[in-house]
Amino acid sequence: MQIISSPKVYPVIVIGSGASGGMAAWNLTRQGIEVLLLDAGDKFDRSTYWTHVTPWEARERRARGERPPQFFLDRNESPYETPAGRPFDLTRVWGHGGKTNVWGRVSLRLSDVNLKEPARDGWEIPWPIAYADIAPYYDKVDQLIGVCGGDDDSDILPGSRYHLPPPAPRCAERLIQKGARTLDIPFVPTRRANRTRSVRGSIPCHYCGNCGAGCDVAAFFCSADHLLPEALATKKLEIRSNAVVARILTDANGLASGVQYFDRKTGSEQQVRGKVIVVGASCVDSTRILLNSTSRTHPNGLGNGSDVIGRYLCEQVRFHANGYLPALAGGPTRNDRGIGGEHLYMPRFNHRAGHTRDYLRGFGAQMWSTGASASGAHGGSEKIPGFGATLKREIKRRHPAWFEIHPYGEVLPYADNRITVDPAKPDRFGVPTIRIDYTIRDNERKMLAHMSDTVEEIVKAAGGVFVNYTRGDVDGNGTAIHEHGTCRMGDDPKRSALNAFNRMHDVRNVYVVDGSAFPTATEKNPTLTILALAWRATDHLADDMRRGTL
Amino acid sequence: MNRRDALRSLASTAAALAASRTWIHVRAEQGWTPAVLTPAQDAEVVALTEAIIPATETPGAKAALVNRFVDQALAGAGAAQRDAFLQGLAWVTARCQAEFGQTFAAATPEQQVSLLTRIDDDGTIAAAEQPGADFFRTIKGMTISGYYSTEIGLRQELGDDGRMVLAQFEGCTHPEHQG
Repeated sequence: MQIISSPKVYPVIVIGSGASGGMAAWNLTRQGIEVLLLDAGDKFDRSTYWTHVTPWEARERRARGERPPQFFLDRNESPYETPAGRPFDLTRVWGHGGKTNVWGRVSLRLSDVNLKEPARDGWEIPWPIAYADIAPYYDKVDQLIGVCGGDDDSDILPGSRYHLPPPAPRCAERLIQKGARTLDIPFVPTRRANRTRSVRGSIPCHYCGNCGAGCDVAAFFCSADHLLPEALATKKLEIRSNAVVARILTDANGLASGVQYFDRKTGSEQQVRGKVIVVGASCVDSTRILLNSTSRTHPNGLGNGSDVIGRYLCEQVRFHANGYLPALAGGPTRNDRGIGGEHLYMPRFNHRAGHTRDYLRGFGAQMWSTGASASGAHGGSEKIPGFGATLKREIKRRHPAWFEIHPYGEVLPYADNRITVDPAKPDRFGVPTIRIDYTIRDNERKMLAHMSDTVEEIVKAAGGVFVNYTRGDVDGNGTAIHEHGTCRMGDDPKRSALNAFNRMHDVRNVYVVDGSAFPTATEKNPTLTILALAWRATDHLADDMRRGTL
Repeated sequence: MNRRDALRSLASTAAALAASRTWIHVRAEQGWTPAVLTPAQDAEVVALTEAIIPATETPGAKAALVNRFVDQALAGAGAAQRDAFLQGLAWVTARCQAEFGQTFAAATPEQQVSLLTRIDDDGTIAAAEQPGADFFRTIKGMTISGYYSTEIGLRQELGDDGRMVLAQFEGCTHPEHQG
């Protein structure tokens, strides 16, 4: 097959256009640096979203053969293997903006409790940075993307001067909060990247609650809506769509010299040359690219002399409990749509005085789908015994009263929780596909027991009744969609792939700026930190480029 | 996939269908014919869904055309799920024929209640009724998904105001709910 290679050498090639790649492209182009951005998919068209399509209209549209946009990548298009009995549910979005098109939007700052914990408890390597290093970037990200939240500030969840007003809690959330308070477990206003006020002229959130369908007025942060247009406006950005990156190419000295990709539509192989490569294809796909980028200098994958790339895959372990609050049953149905997620969040508390634990790290909890459902009866209604008028009456009675609690616990990094590539199993372009081998272990099981105890105590204190909750049931690995750790940053080049500015120890013109850079998963949702670290890393890169010290 | 797993997964399929809003029949569609169900099976499904969510002060499953939702879900389901459902439906009809000498749809309300009471899972299902119980759990879930995602179920019965554009989110204003 003919390989199409362009003679142009781009100052920077960015791989991926989600939170990490989008931020990198935005921050470099606004500083006058020319960027070629490669994304594995197309631009999604907001005007085609079904955000506010009523069920009635939806039926007519379907009859006309229309379909809502399909955000999620079909696993068959980029297959991966898992060992028998150890599934891993990988969720990927290929297209401009990546997962930020449909992300959960939870935007929590890491704190020094998180960042200094590995050094304290000795499990695996410490973070090479502290809160003070990220804090200025969190401030800038909050202002740029728009994050609603309260004025609370704690050791575990640092506050922000730039939060937009938080949405008022729903009744059921208030009652859970009130119950938890008697246990000295605080719930605080959620922090989500929903624009409860206009940000630089944008349309604010209007509380339709259907963020999962994509926002047709861009009222929550999405890289494709809020970063890429500004970057394009600088005239310094070129975007190539449907560019499925296979490998980073290297020169005789082992430095990156370009990128090899395949056109998703035509299958043709292309090569582009660049002086610097910034990798932000999301944790698993970035890892695939790095491990497949083998050469004489990098037989084990690009910049993987330490053999850490692909290892230490960690996300979060979680379960879902729901039930209803008899105090609210039989009351009027309220419009609980809100910002399409919980309005109150339970920050981690187990590190505080008065709490004990027999495991490392900790957990927080979300409460999405609490209150009256806007899409039908709550799923728990099917568990109500009986049928006929009695059932119908009880479903209505409980409708305003449902609560859900979703705790997220940190999974430790383990060397053998690992992504590898298998040359014996090539994809349709002939590129080795990945294998994900991931399990949770004793520490997570002990934490899960504490998570269960906590949820049970809170529900009891709030006067709730469980409907769908079985102690010990855990959601599948991968379902949190918070993969981290497989290309981690650290001070020790023998135990980490990146330095404290996301630059490869072994390959000084390659940066990796997505969640794979995190040494630990923490109990928090990663996107806000990915944005902050990608901004910080590309500031560092831009400085180097200006000084000519790269 | 065994029969039970097939039935369970069918209920999930139906719930996903309801959530995806591919379904909502608010007015009678002229000339509708089922894609999967025979007319006799459709009549049984109409009667079963109405027995699960009947007309009260608001219309029930029959008026909300939940039978069409069930047919649509079956059409989109795998063969194993579809077969398991139809076998369960046949079990109900056969049981009614044996006990009452007529189909479920033709049985009296008392007869219907007497059968459904035995196969509604309250944790004490007799072994002989287990196929009926597995089926009933499935069709009950499908009825709830289908009915409450219609305008009748969501707006009229549950009282959702349907508003998707608010200037402010008021939230809880009850003094007694504040901590």
